Amino acid sequence: MAQLDNIIHQPVRLQIMSSLVSLDQNERVNFTYLRKLLKLTDGNLGAHLSKLEQAGYIKTDKTFVARKPQTFISATGKGRDAFEGHVATLKEIIEGEKK
Amino acid sequence: MNVSQEEAQASLSTIRDVKVQTQRAAISTYASPMMILWGTLWIIAFTATHLYIEHGQHIFTAMNVVGIAVSAIIFYQLFHSKPPFREDPSERIGWRIAALWILLYVYVIIWLFLLAPFSGRQCNAFIGTAGMFACVVMGLWFRSTLMIVLGLAMTGVTLVGFYLLTSYYCLWMAIMGGGGLFGTGLYIRLRWR
Repeated sequence: MAQLDNIIHQPVRLQIMSSLVSLDQNERVNFTYLRKLLKLTDGNLGAHLSKLEQAGYIKTDKTFVARKPQTFISATGKGRDAFEGHVATLKEIIEGEKK
Repeated sequence: MNVSQEEAQASLSTIRDVKVQTQRAAISTYASPMMILWGTLWIIAFTATHLYIEHGQHIFTAMNVVGIAVSAIIFYQLFHSKPPFREDPSERIGWRIAALWILLYVYVIIWLFLLAPFSGRQCNAFIGTAGMFACVVMGLWFRSTLMIVLGLAMTGVTLVGFYLLTSYYCLWMAIMGGGGLFGTGLYIRLRWR
């Protein structure tokens, strides 16, 4: 059986990755929006994003929109693969216990 | 890491919920202002045409000019202000969406010249269903069930009004067509953000 991904399995990071992989590969989401969607504080979201970025699962892109700084976040190919693997393992656990 | 079946099930539910929430929010950001705008314009234009049928052509010309201009402003604002979602500049598809609608309008004008003469009601139903065709195409393109269902439903509403409610076609389209677009736009703006 494949292993669950410890980095992704943490509840907040699971939500972050779920949101990011549901976007198309060429789409990014901004920090404020993600914070509101997942009902998190700036600090909490920032800390979890750092973990995911260190693992190479997400990419952050700081830019200026209408002269204001914006941070856009997207899932990397590695992150999408890891997430798919994680979901497959969760399904295996459910199927395994049914057998 | 040991995870029970219940925990695995709960994780999968969380994933499903967040994915749906994110996709809905993405649709809401761009689609709801358009639906509210065009729904409002349809209500006004169709009601005015029902009351002043002889001015129908001018009313709809004015509606299209206002609608296209305001749509362009809304899209400009969405792409250049503080968008929650943003496309990778190297893979922008915004211009392709704009091209789809511009091409559709150009083709509709060509077809109208080819098909003339026709009644105002026929012209109206033709332009409306052509727009809904583009809505379905966009739904398939962006995997949005809402846009596919909305496009097909509005096409059905138009056909029912056209064939069955001849005398009240404009009023029917104002309430069902315009009201439907406006209501859907408002619903996704309030519930999907």
